Amino acid sequence: MKQVFTALALGTLFVGAPALADAEVGKPAPAFTLKDETGKEHSLAQYKGKVVVLEWTNPECPFVKRHYEADTMATTLKGFDAKKVVWLAVDSTAHNTPEKSAAWKKAEGFTYPVLQDAPGTVGKAYGAKTTPHMYVIDEQGVVRYAGAIDDDPRGKNDKKVNHVKTAVDALLTGKPVPAATTTPYGCSVKYKSS
Amino acid sequence: MKRQQRKRLGAVGGVGVFLLAAVAWAELPSTAVGSSAPDEGDPRVEAALLVDATQVKPGDPFRVGVRFRMDPGWHIYWKNPGDSGLETEIAWDTPGSTVGPLQWPFPHTFRTPDGFIVTHGYDGEVLLFAQARAAENATGALQLSAAVEALVCEVHCIPAELMLTRNVPLGPETVLDADAASAFDASHAKVPRPVADTGHTVKLALDTQQLTAGQEFTGTLTVTGPGGAPLPALEDDFFTAERISGVERVTLASAGPGRFTLKGTAEPDVPGAAPRLTGVLRLGTKASGYQPLAVDVPLAPMVAAAGAGKPVAAKMPSVKDSIAAVKPVAAAVPPSAVPAESPVGLGLALLFAFLGGALLNLMPCVFPVLALKAYGFTRMVQQEHGRVGAHAAAYAGGIIGSLLLLAGAVLAVRAGGASVGWGFQFQEPLFVAAVSAVLVAFALNLFGVFNVGLDGTTLAGKVDQSHGLLHSAGEGVLAVVLATPCSAPMLGTAVGFAFAAGPVTVLAIFVALGLGLALPFCVLVLVPGLAKKLPKPGAWMERFKQVLGFALLGTTVWLVWVMGGLAGVDGMARLLAFLVAVGLGAWLYGQSQAQDGGRRLGTAAVAVLVLVATGGVALRFDEAAAPTARASTVAQAQPWDAAAVDAALAAGQPVFIDFTADWCLTCKFNERTVLAREEVRAAFAENHVAFFVADWTRRDARITAKLAEHGRAGVPMYLVLSPGAPEKPEVLPELLTAETVVNAVKRAAECSPARRKDGSSILCAAGPMRP
Repeated sequence: MKQVFTALALGTLFVGAPALADAEVGKPAPAFTLKDETGKEHSLAQYKGKVVVLEWTNPECPFVKRHYEADTMATTLKGFDAKKVVWLAVDSTAHNTPEKSAAWKKAEGFTYPVLQDAPGTVGKAYGAKTTPHMYVIDEQGVVRYAGAIDDDPRGKNDKKVNHVKTAVDALLTGKPVPAATTTPYGCSVKYKSS
Repeated sequence: MKRQQRKRLGAVGGVGVFLLAAVAWAELPSTAVGSSAPDEGDPRVEAALLVDATQVKPGDPFRVGVRFRMDPGWHIYWKNPGDSGLETEIAWDTPGSTVGPLQWPFPHTFRTPDGFIVTHGYDGEVLLFAQARAAENATGALQLSAAVEALVCEVHCIPAELMLTRNVPLGPETVLDADAASAFDASHAKVPRPVADTGHTVKLALDTQQLTAGQEFTGTLTVTGPGGAPLPALEDDFFTAERISGVERVTLASAGPGRFTLKGTAEPDVPGAAPRLTGVLRLGTKASGYQPLAVDVPLAPMVAAAGAGKPVAAKMPSVKDSIAAVKPVAAAVPPSAVPAESPVGLGLALLFAFLGGALLNLMPCVFPVLALKAYGFTRMVQQEHGRVGAHAAAYAGGIIGSLLLLAGAVLAVRAGGASVGWGFQFQEPLFVAAVSAVLVAFALNLFGVFNVGLDGTTLAGKVDQSHGLLHSAGEGVLAVVLATPCSAPMLGTAVGFAFAAGPVTVLAIFVALGLGLALPFCVLVLVPGLAKKLPKPGAWMERFKQVLGFALLGTTVWLVWVMGGLAGVDGMARLLAFLVAVGLGAWLYGQSQAQDGGRRLGTAAVAVLVLVATGGVALRFDEAAAPTARASTVAQAQPWDAAAVDAALAAGQPVFIDFTADWCLTCKFNERTVLAREEVRAAFAENHVAFFVADWTRRDARITAKLAEHGRAGVPMYLVLSPGAPEKPEVLPELLTAETVVNAVKRAAECSPARRKDGSSILCAAGPMRP
């Protein structure tokens, strides 16, 4: 009988295992462990208890360039309590290297790590399609926001709504995130052709 | 010029056309052409502002547009760019004339080599245009200027910005520019036309009446040609959806001529208006010619997901977790019921029924029987090797037969106009008594008080064939009987689906359930060698058997308690008295098995007499004697009553309704582990929640109706009503967590009119928001 139960239990596991779908709002964020540009490992699990912002990035993309010229990311991060919020950039560009990320980080002068995902596995696990594509994950590891950084794809609006700021502020004050998803805009993520 | 020529050749591929294009190009004023998206100094796109007339009469219509020519491999984007990219934008500044909305030819679909990123747009050449009209009082010349913003992408992307201007003289007549007009006509032919203009009919039948936030939805789209004509053949990428507020993605797959299977995913946020299916459909093939249609039909109103915001454990689910995570009882998705939770097709329901049935084996209700059967097998494998299959078949037959009986009962009762739910038979005291008696008899059998199927005098070890098989079938029946008050993961969904479906579906799902319940033994039989791996029988088996007897007695205790709820303390006492008689009868029968001849018959007759007499005296249950206002484990609980609920809501109190039954183990589990918890009670007190208990232990048509209203076939069900939006109750998941309850109650309280004064922007009417 033991074998039968084992078989049943395994069957259940198989059926119950989460499919490798995109990061969905309200569902646990796909776990990952990635090295940053210095070779240091970062895993989502180690940041449990903090709000994690993931920024899919590619320094070659004009949209990313525009936001870095305007310091959108650094300014947004500065507005948060550093003890409660972690910002991780992820570069899933197939031809990116840690050296390129390090040079870019130095040139732009930001502080957060640039996680290296040249194989694109984490990007695809999250369903990251554009750069920038933003995800906000709450203290329990549940995705609470997925989409664009703001409501201004063309960078023309004087008054823009920073969706990431809105989402993180809501999470930190225990309020519902007003817009849990928005349509991300920008360049496509340059994934490795498989 | 060399570059341009090469490109034109590439784009149009014909010398003649090339010459025409070159002529048209030559006529354009320099301000009306431009190039942009510089790629290391090499522009990737050229654009020209085109007008279909060389002279326009004031008040006359004309067409104006921007023609884009991209380098090979580069593209710009449609109004819905897809997964990435940016809609091409043209801002008009046209004093003296008005310009209508931009017309978009049917877009091409681009895919990355791995198919992960799908975008929509144009490569080669495209003319995006608009209808315009000169003002009646316009004088001199029309100034037309277009500010163009486009994202031009190959693998990487370059933003393009262009300012194109030109003047068109006004005159007594409108003079068409033949070359330009043909370019506009060609583009116009590719612009999808509304079906109202083409005579096509488009019908959408969704499988659910509502979309649920964050959930997938399915349906069927039927398209017929003008006058019912069949549709021509289609090519790949025949449908591209526009951006639909509230819908994350939606796709169509061809399912026969003119029939399309629609699949979509709703966004996690509920939009202000009910989403519509808007998109473009391209009929025909390259060989036959294309006919693009614009589709615009209502989808369905969207509701927030039930139990929204409950985070699911991030780790891989263990069996226990998956039991806890999946809704246990009747997460019903009847196609007819309005608050459908997640669309479940018949195939999925059958699969759920099968898996749910298999998982039932692990639930506490069925496990004793399963263990018993396993014990029987161990014995059998040693004794009569070849007949394992027959016994497994008998066991499975017992299960399926009794489930079909149950399904038949459901159908019969339903045909009679009443509605029933999963586990309804436990509302009948005599049924509870009968099951208790069977359990006690079974336990005594295991203790060795009497033997079943084995004539005392026959050689031990030689199991009588028919009796043995009957025994196996009986165990199957018992497994089903005991399984109903327990619910395994996925089972609820399937049974909920079945209870709301037609007779054939009901029967099919119950058969699937039975097959699942019998699965362990089918596996044992079908996997060769597995049966041999069962432990060797020995003295331990005797002890194990007796331990199982105690497990059955434990189940009996629960049934006696259920009887208490049904027929009060008197009823419990009567049932216990009857069980004592069953014990006595069983003992007498056991004695008779050791005797022979007339004495044996006599003793057996006495046993039967004892049973019948006690049964006649004891088995009279007075349901009116049941305690009416039974103490709940939750403080300040009041019996459910629609009027009382309304009164509480009117007083501005959030309302929590607990639909429960004594025989429902899941309900009891929730009440003890969640609803009775200090933090939950505190949240109830803090938010002034009115707590109602709707007890379905006994039949109650009002409760059955209320359950059906929310698409449920049975208990538990938990409703949270907000005084701000009483018509939109939140249905909590069947397995509660303290967090779910506290959050739901808080949300409901936040929506109360009293609190909304403080500027809270929560949309109560749209359903619960996520935390």
